[in-house]
Amino acid sequence: MVDLLATSPDTWRDRAADAPVIPQELIPPREGSFTDRVRALRRRHALRERRALENYAQSRKPERGWPVADNRAVLAFFRTLLRERRRVFVALVVLNGLAAATGLVVPRLLGSLINETVAGDAESSLNSLALLIVGVVCAQALLTFVAQRTSTIFGQDLLSSAREYIVRTILALPLGRVESASSGDLVTRVTRDVGTMSRSVQYGVPMAIISSLTVVLSVIAMLLNSVMLAVPSLMVIGLAFPQVRRYLQRAPKGYINEGATYSRINSTLTETVEGARTVEALGLADRRVQAGDDDIDISAQAERYTMTLRNLLFAVIDVAFNAPRVVTLLVGAYGYAQGWVSLGQITAAVLYVEALSGPLDRLVGEVDRLQVGAASTSRLLGIAEVPADRIAGTELPDGPELVGEDLRFAYREGHDVLHGVDLRLSTGERLAIVGPSGSGKSTLGRLLSGINGPRTGTVTVGGVELVDLPLETLRTEVALVTQEHHVFKGSVRDNIILAREDSGDDAVWDALRAVGAAEWVERFPTGLDTQLGSGNQPLTPAQAQQVALARLIIADPHTLVLDEATSLIDPRTARTLEGSMSALLEGRTVVAIAHRLHTAHDADRIAVVIDGRIVELGSHHELVSRPDGEYAALWRAWTS
Amino acid sequence: MRDFPPVIDTFYARGGGEPSAAPDTRTRTRFLLWMLKLQWPVILTTTALGMFWQLPPMFGPFIFGRAVDEGIVPGSAHSTVQWAGLLLAVTLIGAVFGILMHTYIVRTWLIALYGTMKMVTRKAAQMGHVLPRRTPTGEVLSVASADSDEFGALTEILARTCTQLVAYLVVAFIVLSTSVELGVLLLIAAPVLVGAAFPLLKPLHRRQEIERGRNSDLTSLATDIVAGLRILRGIGGERTFGSNYATQSQLARQAGQSAGIWQAGIEAVGVLFSGVFVVLLVWLGTRQVISGELTIGQLISFLGYALFMIYPIQTFFEFAQKLTRATVSARRAIAIFEQQPPWIDATDPRGLPEHGDLVDEETGFVAHEGQLTIVVSAVPEDTSALADRLGRYLTTDVEPISEDIGEGVKGRAARRARAEREAERARIAARDEERARQRWGVTLGGVDLSEVQLTDVRRRILVSDSGSQLFAGTLQDAVDPHGRLDRHQAEDALRVANAEDVYDALPGGWQGQLDERGRGLSGGQRQRVVLARAIAAEAPVLVLVEPTSAVDAHTEARIAERVADVRRGRTTVVTTVSPLWLHHADRIVLVQDNHAVAEGTHEDLLLDSPDYRRVVTRAMDVDGEVEEVGARG
Repeated sequence: MVDLLATSPDTWRDRAADAPVIPQELIPPREGSFTDRVRALRRRHALRERRALENYAQSRKPERGWPVADNRAVLAFFRTLLRERRRVFVALVVLNGLAAATGLVVPRLLGSLINETVAGDAESSLNSLALLIVGVVCAQALLTFVAQRTSTIFGQDLLSSAREYIVRTILALPLGRVESASSGDLVTRVTRDVGTMSRSVQYGVPMAIISSLTVVLSVIAMLLNSVMLAVPSLMVIGLAFPQVRRYLQRAPKGYINEGATYSRINSTLTETVEGARTVEALGLADRRVQAGDDDIDISAQAERYTMTLRNLLFAVIDVAFNAPRVVTLLVGAYGYAQGWVSLGQITAAVLYVEALSGPLDRLVGEVDRLQVGAASTSRLLGIAEVPADRIAGTELPDGPELVGEDLRFAYREGHDVLHGVDLRLSTGERLAIVGPSGSGKSTLGRLLSGINGPRTGTVTVGGVELVDLPLETLRTEVALVTQEHHVFKGSVRDNIILAREDSGDDAVWDALRAVGAAEWVERFPTGLDTQLGSGNQPLTPAQAQQVALARLIIADPHTLVLDEATSLIDPRTARTLEGSMSALLEGRTVVAIAHRLHTAHDADRIAVVIDGRIVELGSHHELVSRPDGEYAALWRAWTS
Repeated sequence: MRDFPPVIDTFYARGGGEPSAAPDTRTRTRFLLWMLKLQWPVILTTTALGMFWQLPPMFGPFIFGRAVDEGIVPGSAHSTVQWAGLLLAVTLIGAVFGILMHTYIVRTWLIALYGTMKMVTRKAAQMGHVLPRRTPTGEVLSVASADSDEFGALTEILARTCTQLVAYLVVAFIVLSTSVELGVLLLIAAPVLVGAAFPLLKPLHRRQEIERGRNSDLTSLATDIVAGLRILRGIGGERTFGSNYATQSQLARQAGQSAGIWQAGIEAVGVLFSGVFVVLLVWLGTRQVISGELTIGQLISFLGYALFMIYPIQTFFEFAQKLTRATVSARRAIAIFEQQPPWIDATDPRGLPEHGDLVDEETGFVAHEGQLTIVVSAVPEDTSALADRLGRYLTTDVEPISEDIGEGVKGRAARRARAEREAERARIAARDEERARQRWGVTLGGVDLSEVQLTDVRRRILVSDSGSQLFAGTLQDAVDPHGRLDRHQAEDALRVANAEDVYDALPGGWQGQLDERGRGLSGGQRQRVVLARAIAAEAPVLVLVEPTSAVDAHTEARIAERVADVRRGRTTVVTTVSPLWLHHADRIVLVQDNHAVAEGTHEDLLLDSPDYRRVVTRAMDVDGEVEEVGARG
């Protein structure tokens, strides 16, 4: 036999020599001159940037888990969504533009009021001007309301379409992939990534549109007020542009990295709390506290990176967005002295400059948020890029006979776990598959139930290959029964009718009666409409298993493959469920991947699988009487 | 001064040190004050820096007004440049201190955030298996992930409120000394403006709460779909659950839109009121300019201040809101932090004897020193309760008490519901303490487990129950979490548990990564790695609960033989009904109705005890066949 641990000396590691989670270079020096310290900070910042980029790159190309789409796919996705709601989008732009424009009229009016005051003829026009401003303000308030309302409707509508699309995609994932991949990555995507996408779609998209409209219109208003006063200010603001761009190129990756460190903190803590008993039993408390502190140290470095990024941004924009006040003052004084601008224009210009920094700040923030949202969206859209694992043909099976021929299968290229297995099932027979773990018996079960297609050979039912059948047909021919008695959030009916979604209530009750579950369902005041699943009506483990069995009664396949290692039957509920189980098996062909020998004993035939081959095939009595047989040896151990 | 991440040794200190003072959990206010006191120098510094950061809005309008009056209008270039230089200086000072303030705000926020997270981890370390008995895991985690952020937000808003209060007072002084009439208008109008939106806030918050609720339902629907995806793709139901999700998504959309409409209303009211306020100010100001009481520059200053004054008032309201939220979070945090481990170490602890039998008085079960004893019972709950007692664990016979009283419960009903929960939790805590204080009823070498220190018990007796969990990390970490083994010991442990295939399947061998809770491994693989870890721990007394329930017969036979072999000479207890284990046992004890009713070897018991035969042959499911096969063999 091959020594599976052959590489152990190479992969074993002396952990005493492990590097600390935070390299020494990231710890600030305690002493040194100011310039030394600044230099050290620059080095730390560069190193933090490298770490952030590495983590970000890893999140874009997951080694395990599902693919990630590229930015083009994200743009195309949102373009389609926008095209579908073009009219609301136009209304959004127009209304917000109008609201911003009316807001920009007020400083002009105030400016002209100042002019008239200076000229000394304000007394006559003051009241009418004041009333005019009140009118403009009322219009602005009204437009703001309508525009904001449109933004909300638009944002929420966009968001709901996007998330419904994602869930539809998940529900169409290829069966083979779903069975083999871990669901952890998918859970993160439907929770954290959908959350991030929501925030950016719901607020980010409308706010970015509004802020940029406001900025553009403000600039126009400034130019209309006085080109001479506007241009120098705008140039000063423009000086910030390279730094803003630098920031926007780096920040989203920094925030994505930061978010990842927080989810790591969370999952470590979750393990510590859920595994509290294990932690206590093995005396791991110190280790778990250390693991939590390490995660926090890493997260703190991610926070320091984005903090420095923001500080570098603020250093520039705080000056660039506020200095125009000084510029306006100086240019205004000169222009006023030359008679080129009035005091009213100066006042209006200052008010515009003051009002511009808000939308500019917001715009930077929203672009940031949009980029982070786009990263999450690309992870969500990645789900859609999983290639289909089968193309359904049109041929329908002629009869229930299940035949496997020359089956080979590899999870990793070049590592076949089955080596040319042939198996023919007679209708209505009970076949047990036994064998040590890793022998390939579970894989054989998956091929026989059409979850995966074989690398070579075919599995056919009634002459048609299983992988050529549409899923809806496949499910009513063969079903793989695993221990997953997941109870969905939904009504009793929803939980039962899975395989045939147009089943009537009578069929549901029949299925419930068959597995002995009708009695307790009848006791629910709302019957089949009773909501089950987490947070709703709780079920006992036995009831949950009956629900799982009733699903199969509805599916009504002629062949069942029972993977018993993970089988429906929990030893605690075995006794109560025997009746339900035999009702299900009645009249069907059954392949049982047996982990308990009593199952094998009861079967019509037993296949012993060792190292990817069927080495013995026959009835219990035949196999037991072979003196050197694998099965016979096992049986003796079991019963002696 | 503290920096982030803070060093915390509240509740639990690593290396067996003495934990520092626990937080004050008597009331929510005291708790929040305790949190703030942890880092008051940081908060104070942040406030001081903030005052300089606020210089431009405080003095900018004043300087601009003076520049207009003394520079622009009289045409004095010298004066204009002077005032402009001052304005530039103020702007630059503001920018520099803005950066410093931002740095300190991040620091104070993260000290509170990381500090809370660390305290939760330490509480979990201190409480051990008792914590999940009392509080649902989700609530423990949300203190770390959500409430910690509220505490961070509180420190930030506290510092900001202080600076804004100073700015408000300075501006009030400037405007009042210029014009009493306009100054008073400014000071009164600002709170009125912010308060104007107040009546709209309540309906908004109600709708936002509905929106939050529907969104979290939506998230749990999506998680549910993913959790059951194998079934949905294997058996069907995509249409049903896809449309359930879509329906809920539309409900969330409607809730979001109706909250958004109120939000739009609030913004519109804000625009309206602040606009009207500016008009009023200008109207009054212009009249004063005309009558000569005010200069044109002063009027322009007032326009600037009118725009500024809204911010301090908004900050004050924000403070009130965040304080309320932090208080709610404080209640949740206290519910976790105030819990105490039930164990009171004996004042005069005895040492656990090196030798002797392990005896459970309740059932009369005895595991002789150095033997492999197998416990057989028709009711798995009985054996797992026995295993809990042998290791001095409180059994999981209670449901944790949730803090969440459900939506729509308000006012007096909410207070009553909370009081009931609190009483219930106190009752469980009292019962745990009672149980922990009494004689435990399990002795090792004649000494009751309650007479020795709990750490001593844990070191000597290792119970690996069916809930044993793997942690994310390398395979090497999983088998050797303490880093105590050499390679050969670890290899042997893997072989005993017949888990070499896990090593082979993971890319990177010992350095292969396991996901959280060993997700990604099959149930059988997980169980065997857990077993390898338990074997590698080399505990003097080892109790294994159903160690091979997810493993096939071939492998089980191999494991049973190897475990019996490697544990020879050390006390080992295994609970199982599998015949493949039974004939390796030195002694088998049959437990029925919580009593040890028969004992002996497998062969003896098969002959002598009809009850035993029934339980064991049920596992074989071949009633009557045993004799037949036996006869044939």
